[in-house]
Amino acid sequence: MAILEEPIKGIVEVKNYIDGEWAESKGEIQDVVNPVNGKIIAKVPISTKEEIDSAVEAAKAAFPDWRTTPPVARARCLFRLKELLEANFEELSRVQTQEHGKTIDESRGETRRGIENVEVACGIPTLMQGYNSEDIASGIDEYLIPTPLGVFGIIGPFNFPFMIPLWSAPYAVATGNCIVIKPSSEVPLSQMKIAELVDEAGFPPGVWNVVNGGRTVVNGMLDHPDIEGITFVGSTPTARNVIYPRCGATGKRVIAQGGASNFMVIMPDCNLRATIPALMTSFFGNAGQRCLAGQNVIVVGDDDRFYKEFVNGVVDTAKKIIIGNGLEEEVQMGPVRDAEKKKKILAYINSGIKEGAKIILDGRSDFKIKGNYPDTCFLGPTIMETVEPEMKIVTEEIFGPTMGIIRVKTLDEAIKTCDDNPFHNADAIFTSNGRTAREFKYRVKSGNVGINVGIVAPMAFFPFSGMRDSFFGILHTQGKEAIRFFTESKVVIERWP
Amino acid sequence: MQLNTSASVISFAKQLEGDSAGFYEKMAERYPKAAELFLTFSKENKNYETMVQRAYYGVITDAIEGCFAFTVETDKYTFEKEPAKKLRDADALNQAIDMEQKLISFYTDAAEQSKAFMADVPRTFLIVARKRRNREDKLRALLKET
Repeated sequence: MAILEEPIKGIVEVKNYIDGEWAESKGEIQDVVNPVNGKIIAKVPISTKEEIDSAVEAAKAAFPDWRTTPPVARARCLFRLKELLEANFEELSRVQTQEHGKTIDESRGETRRGIENVEVACGIPTLMQGYNSEDIASGIDEYLIPTPLGVFGIIGPFNFPFMIPLWSAPYAVATGNCIVIKPSSEVPLSQMKIAELVDEAGFPPGVWNVVNGGRTVVNGMLDHPDIEGITFVGSTPTARNVIYPRCGATGKRVIAQGGASNFMVIMPDCNLRATIPALMTSFFGNAGQRCLAGQNVIVVGDDDRFYKEFVNGVVDTAKKIIIGNGLEEEVQMGPVRDAEKKKKILAYINSGIKEGAKIILDGRSDFKIKGNYPDTCFLGPTIMETVEPEMKIVTEEIFGPTMGIIRVKTLDEAIKTCDDNPFHNADAIFTSNGRTAREFKYRVKSGNVGINVGIVAPMAFFPFSGMRDSFFGILHTQGKEAIRFFTESKVVIERWP
Repeated sequence: MQLNTSASVISFAKQLEGDSAGFYEKMAERYPKAAELFLTFSKENKNYETMVQRAYYGVITDAIEGCFAFTVETDKYTFEKEPAKKLRDADALNQAIDMEQKLISFYTDAAEQSKAFMADVPRTFLIVARKRRNREDKLRALLKET
């Protein structure tokens, strides 16, 4: 099968999208590199404080009109955006593969997930309805009106360049707010493409802005008095130590989603035929670079025969994973985003070995790349046995294609292992026993719980949850919680004497 | 060749539908008596292709096992793209029946492999397989008349 055509040809000059115009930045310019072949595909500006300020100013200026635009009219803009996203589905997906390295199935999946958030936000006339009580006292009525707040900042990560800003952006604008998005400077093209479609969809200037850059832009958002709230997805140290406290200090609302170290609990009664592909997706999909990825499996029980069958099954399947250019449709795993990230993953694998883990599939060297590509950003799947819960490869986030295998005797021990971990983003159990599944679901302290599902990715009409070191804030992105986050409750008590 | 990813299997289905449509267009030229039927088949193939693509693009997400849902051995399902030259009507119809059987088994096998993983895609595959079974019946009826 042929390699799909690349939509990005040559080198794209990424600009900021401010007040409905494409604006050149005065900031330093960085290269955007395709991790598959090391080719520069774009130049992205690291924008200045003045540029983020001017985007916030434009958003603030656009707010009064946008806020008074009826929700049905705002929804129509979103419907047009949804149509344009569908019409450009394949191009948008291929751009993600080019800038990030993920496989085309994964990119199309990301596009679909992003569009689903736009679809849900299209229901804003209903979603934004308040509620009322007639006659709270004789002749007095009381009602609640959800009202927009103003300008919000949205800070995206590198691992889902298209989808993650859409966990917030459609809800923010649907509720009548204006936004400034800062994509990851490593992968700015998807948000640039979306902004082009936003422009075509007819959003008024200033409602939807995109400012590329790094710390200066983030600091500019955090410190800006006219930004009402921030949504952030990235690492736990940044979420916990930077975004969350600084939003608190400046009185901003905040959703700060951090990292994860997720467990997949394997019961001996699970259906291995269905479990193994689910684990492959969970651990090695997106080259392990997602906060819902499995990082360790916990095999429950002392049935050595089952354990052996399970381990052989995962190793044999992982060994056959086709690694290469995500634009080749047979490829099952692409590269990690860049050489630095590869180095970090390698360091974790080495630390696991040092701490006593036994490597049974060595993704550091034991893999083949389909096609003639440099191995700069490539890794194979790594599987390690005799992993213990206190090892760094369990307590810290690796964000790469690795699987550690922990053995415990009982479900209680498995749940305890999950709960003792500092992260609580997503944990899953694989079993054919409903009672065991219920016990796990009920007791495990995790934001997203899977039962025979390896990637517990909530649909757009559910919140993207997370707990403890995986999440800082109260309300979550997506669905009704996002609507609540982007609105203030105005309560009216009315009497006509 | 073995295909494991959804993207590659959907492209393979598209290729099979295209090849099969081409086969029936050639059949229509060579056997004007049944040309209308063969051209209808060719048109239906386009619809099947659209149905499969819609199902795939509609459900593909990161929560399902898109890259690990299949073990399709393509060699099992390939067929001659044109009716063999100098065949009698009956032989050509048998060739078409053989092609339909291969396509039915492709869709049935692929649906079975992906039923736990790919949401609406296996259901769509089974619908196409069922429609192709009806087509096989029509071809057999035609063969009887020949």
